[in-house]
Amino acid sequence: MRTDVQISICGSAGEGTIAAGDILRNALAAAGYRIISFDAYPAEIRGFGKCVARLRATTEQVYSLKEKSDVLVCLNDEHGIPHVGDVRDFGAVIYEAKSITRLTEGAHVSAHVRPGQVPYPLALRELSERATGALRSRNLVALGYLAGLYSLAPEPFLRIIEKKFKGKGAVAEANRKAFEAGRVVGTQTFKLDMVAFGPPTAGLQSVMLSGNAAVVDGCLDAGIDNFFGYPITPATTIMERLATEMPKRGKRLVQTEDEISAIAATVGAGYTGARAATATSGPGLALMSEMLGLGVMAEVPSVVFVSQRGGPSTGIPTKTEQSDLNMALYGSPGDAPRIVIAPTNVEGCYRCAGKAFEMAERYQTPVVVLLDLYLSNRYETVVMPAKPPFEPNCDKPLPKQDLGNGYRRFALTSDGVSPRALPGTAGGMHVVTGLEHNEFGRVNEQPENHEAMSKKRHEKLLAALQHPDFTHYKRFGDEGRVEIGLLAWGSTFGECLAAMFRARTEGMRCAAMKVVMLQPFPAAAVAEFIDQCDVVLVPELNYQGQFASLVQAQTGRLVHRYDRVCGGPMVVDEILAEMLRRVAAGRQKAA
Amino acid sequence: MKTQPIYLEDKLREINESGRLAYRSRSMPTWCPGCGYFSIVDGLPGALNDAGIAPKDTVVVSGIGCSSRFPFFVNTYGFHTLHGRVLPVATGIKTANDALTVIAVGGDGDGFAIGGGHVPHAARRNVDITYLLFDNGIYGLTKGQTSPTSAVGFRTSTSPYENFDQPLNPLMMVLTYGATWVGQAYAGRPQQLETLIRQAIAHRGFSYLHILSPCVTFDKTDKTYQRLGNHVVDIPREHDTGDLGAAIALAAKTDMPALGLLYRTVRPTLSDALDAIAEKAGYKGAGTRRRAAA
Repeated sequence: MRTDVQISICGSAGEGTIAAGDILRNALAAAGYRIISFDAYPAEIRGFGKCVARLRATTEQVYSLKEKSDVLVCLNDEHGIPHVGDVRDFGAVIYEAKSITRLTEGAHVSAHVRPGQVPYPLALRELSERATGALRSRNLVALGYLAGLYSLAPEPFLRIIEKKFKGKGAVAEANRKAFEAGRVVGTQTFKLDMVAFGPPTAGLQSVMLSGNAAVVDGCLDAGIDNFFGYPITPATTIMERLATEMPKRGKRLVQTEDEISAIAATVGAGYTGARAATATSGPGLALMSEMLGLGVMAEVPSVVFVSQRGGPSTGIPTKTEQSDLNMALYGSPGDAPRIVIAPTNVEGCYRCAGKAFEMAERYQTPVVVLLDLYLSNRYETVVMPAKPPFEPNCDKPLPKQDLGNGYRRFALTSDGVSPRALPGTAGGMHVVTGLEHNEFGRVNEQPENHEAMSKKRHEKLLAALQHPDFTHYKRFGDEGRVEIGLLAWGSTFGECLAAMFRARTEGMRCAAMKVVMLQPFPAAAVAEFIDQCDVVLVPELNYQGQFASLVQAQTGRLVHRYDRVCGGPMVVDEILAEMLRRVAAGRQKAA
Repeated sequence: MKTQPIYLEDKLREINESGRLAYRSRSMPTWCPGCGYFSIVDGLPGALNDAGIAPKDTVVVSGIGCSSRFPFFVNTYGFHTLHGRVLPVATGIKTANDALTVIAVGGDGDGFAIGGGHVPHAARRNVDITYLLFDNGIYGLTKGQTSPTSAVGFRTSTSPYENFDQPLNPLMMVLTYGATWVGQAYAGRPQQLETLIRQAIAHRGFSYLHILSPCVTFDKTDKTYQRLGNHVVDIPREHDTGDLGAAIALAAKTDMPALGLLYRTVRPTLSDALDAIAEKAGYKGAGTRRRAAA
């Protein structure tokens, strides 16, 4: 039996909502289910904002969350009520059992449960108080109840609780008791809903990672030497985790005074041959753009992770968006080509992070890895490769005979990449500069030199389109001619894929293509895809259709834009509706 | 008094045998004849040569400006970066490879106008680099505009009536920022300049050498050889270089710039701190460098 259960937990900040979600997803992952999970919480550090922990546990590969949850746990009436409508028919709503007479009309979850949804009132407060003497264990009582109701093995939960509260003595014990108290009640409850967990995938060895955590693992596995960063939501957790992990490996991380300094130090470290990176969001990338241009001109490797958030300006720091694509592609003075890649899921974050170091070194250029808040903060189970799939050294070999007085740091070669002498190399002394220069690195403003060097800087990147062991783009769904094709990048692709699979079950011939390599652009492959579709729809989370414009400019073909700036991920139903509209219009036109 | 004649041949042999030519590139400096920077481009090779630091192990990093063309005129590794960003780039280089001797050079505009936000942080982190600040009180490369160290009342193309901004006092700033070696030199006294550069490089930590240097083309009134030559004084022998207060008091006397070492102290460098952190995190290996160059 296949399992596909989505659980939402709603509560106020401070009620342990996010913590409960964290224990639940880790326990389910430990049990052998695949997980995708994305929490929403308020920007305020302390307060009474609404928190929603949401996770989907499955036995098959999934690409997005579902619009409707199967189970809703309300730790709090006020915040739970708006989400009752998000529970599917015959799904479960678990809430605090209260005497209705003491509440104003409509203030209790039970008043909002619709016919078809199955209510499970639970004495959360009482059970928590009886088990631990305090009310704050309600979240663990709820988890225990879930485990009991759906006959989930308690061991993974207890292990995760143990691990999470290790070193906090009585807290772990209290949480274990609360969990057990809830579980007993759960097992005694008569289950009426149509939600069920089948057996998990046997032997699934996966780890639970957020997108940002996967970036960190990718950096570490690729042998990152130096990191320089400045805190900014939603990229900060990359630096935080690296700050813990890098020193353990004898690697160095420095928190700089601003983003300009962060990228400058990254370029400085890259110049010495180190694998160096920084991480930021849109406002930080804006500050980095001049130095990225120097990285292009001086042909120095660097890696910049950019987790996009709502813009422009300070924008909506805690909401997701894909509106920094243009800045990542073009944001520097002059013709400043750099590599831009964008993973579409958490595993992709790991691979793109590691591969970015390879590419930066191989093509001697800045590499921008575009993430967004939804991808940075969401959790997925990832099956990690047995050994890091990254090359430890991608520098083009420097022949000894090239060194000496006539050493040409920027020699014009067939592939445009010039072997570099790292500082410390005898006979390799040279100056790199942001001024236009000749093969020796000496300032040269002659027109034929500027043309030759501009060509070199652009054309050397084309080889990245064939960079080994990297998925530059990938097509899913029906082969050959299709009625409609979805073309997407970044985190949005997950929802597109889900929409495409749904559309196929509704009888549409359709396909979806993800594009990971955004610059240089795989124009031929994308054009071929477009040519096989009656209609192409490009869903993305920005107002300007930035990716659609890129596609049109690169392929010379028209596509239909579907732009949303809702602060959240794309909604699968809405993509599907748009697909139906487009296909219907096409059919009408044809008839 | 009878003077010994100086023969060109002897002088050339002396220069050749000194070893300093190994540090000079084949590019002739692009500065105006008479520019104070010539004594600096002569002083750095002398200092490196005396210290026995090989050209291949030296990186000269610069920003943008007349002074920042410096890396092209020395035969070491060089990184001519962006306006104002010399210190963060130098920090990255040193953090990635401790074995390199990193010299940051730049002008007063580069360091204290556009790049002013980076100086406190390089100083407080005690990055083990040497920062040679060429102060001519003017933007020369863009042909004579007011700089953050231009005097009040100074007239340039961007302040045609007069400059109304108080000049910064970079020496006082770096002293309070936590620099661990602070000195001042004058381009008109090349011997002393070279000695101070050598001491600054020898210092383990962030060393800051402020070099007063006339712009003979765009400044005919303020920081001229004549005026500076008449006003500079040597730091008194009794000055205690471990006394921050006394150093700040000396730095405050801008009408009589004091030449020599103002302040010196010892504190762990950024690399020392990062190594200590690695040790705290449980790292047992030695060194945090990725790989040595061939």
